[in-house]
Amino acid sequence: MGLIKKLPVYTEHIPGGSLVTTSVNSVLTMAQAKSLWYLLFGTACCAIELMATGASRYDFDRLGMIFRASPRQADIMLVAGTITKKMAPRVKRIYDQMAQPRYVLAMGGCAIGGGPFYYDCYSVLKGVDKIIPVDVFVPGCPPRPEALLQGCLEVGKKIRTLKLDEWS
Amino acid sequence: MTKAELTAHITTTFSGQVTVIENTQPEPYFIVKPEDLVAFARFIHDDSALQLTFLMNLAGADTGERYEVVYNVCSYQLKHRIFFKIQLPHDNPEFDTVIQVWPGANWFEREVWELFGMTVRNHPNLTRFLLEDDWNEGFPLRKGWTGTDFIPLPDRG
Repeated sequence: MGLIKKLPVYTEHIPGGSLVTTSVNSVLTMAQAKSLWYLLFGTACCAIELMATGASRYDFDRLGMIFRASPRQADIMLVAGTITKKMAPRVKRIYDQMAQPRYVLAMGGCAIGGGPFYYDCYSVLKGVDKIIPVDVFVPGCPPRPEALLQGCLEVGKKIRTLKLDEWS
Repeated sequence: MTKAELTAHITTTFSGQVTVIENTQPEPYFIVKPEDLVAFARFIHDDSALQLTFLMNLAGADTGERYEVVYNVCSYQLKHRIFFKIQLPHDNPEFDTVIQVWPGANWFEREVWELFGMTVRNHPNLTRFLLEDDWNEGFPLRKGWTGTDFIPLPDRG
C-alpha cells in the first residue's frame, strides 16, 4: 500500500474490506511526475553528462525517466548543450511536435544564457528560453549528474502542484 | 623529407615566387602570391618528391591589415606536412579555388567565403551553409564586425 501513503485519500471501511477514494488530479500528476520520458536532445558537451546520468552509475531509469528518440513519445525535453541560432528554429519545431503536457529543462550555461559564448559570439542563441518556455534551469558547465537528477526531481515537484486544467 | 629539404625543394622549383616564413615549428611555412596559387597547389600535389595529396585544413584570417587564407597540406605517402598562405587586400578580396587539386577544399572555401566575404573564383557551389538561412548581417569573422545581440567582451583591465 505504498501508493496510498503518498496520496490524499479517504478510506472507508465496508464489510469485507475497505474502499479508497482520492482525486483524479493527484493520481494523474503523480503518475506524470514519476514517468517523465525525456527527449534526447544533446547538442554539445552537456549531452555527455546526460549520457552519464542515464548510464548505470546514476541510473535515470529509477526515476522513471527513459529516453525517447521521438518528440511524439516524450514528456520532457532536456536541452543539453549550446543552441546555435541556426539550430533554434529546429528546437522550436521539435518542441511544437511534443504532445501535451510537455516540460522543458535547460541544462548547463549555454542553454540558460549562452554560457561561454555570451560575449564576442555571432552564432549562439543566448538562452533557450528565448524561443521555448523553460520549467527548470540546471546551471553548470556542464552540471554534475547529481544536479541534473535534482533538476528532474524539481520538474516532478512542479508537476505535482499542477491542476488538471493547468496542464499545457 | 625534413623541413630543410622541403624548403629547399620548393624554393628552388618556385624560385622568386614563394617567400619562406622563418619559424620554429617542425613544418615549413610559405607565402604564395594569389595569382600563383593554383599552379603552386598543382605542383606540390603532383610532384613525386612532395606528394602533398591531402588538404588537412584551409582557414581564413583577418589580420587587420589584410586577409589571409592559410592552407595546411600533408602527404600520407611521405609523412611530411607544409603550410602556406596567400595574402589578399582588404578591398575586393578574391582568390582561386583549389577544388580541382584537392576536392576537399569545397566546404572550407565556402566557409571562408561565408564568414570573411572573400570571393572564391570558379567555385562550383558558393552558397550559404554555416550561418542561418536568412542571415543578412555581413561577414561575422571580419575585424570590427557587430550585429544584432552581439555583445563585445568588456575590457576588464
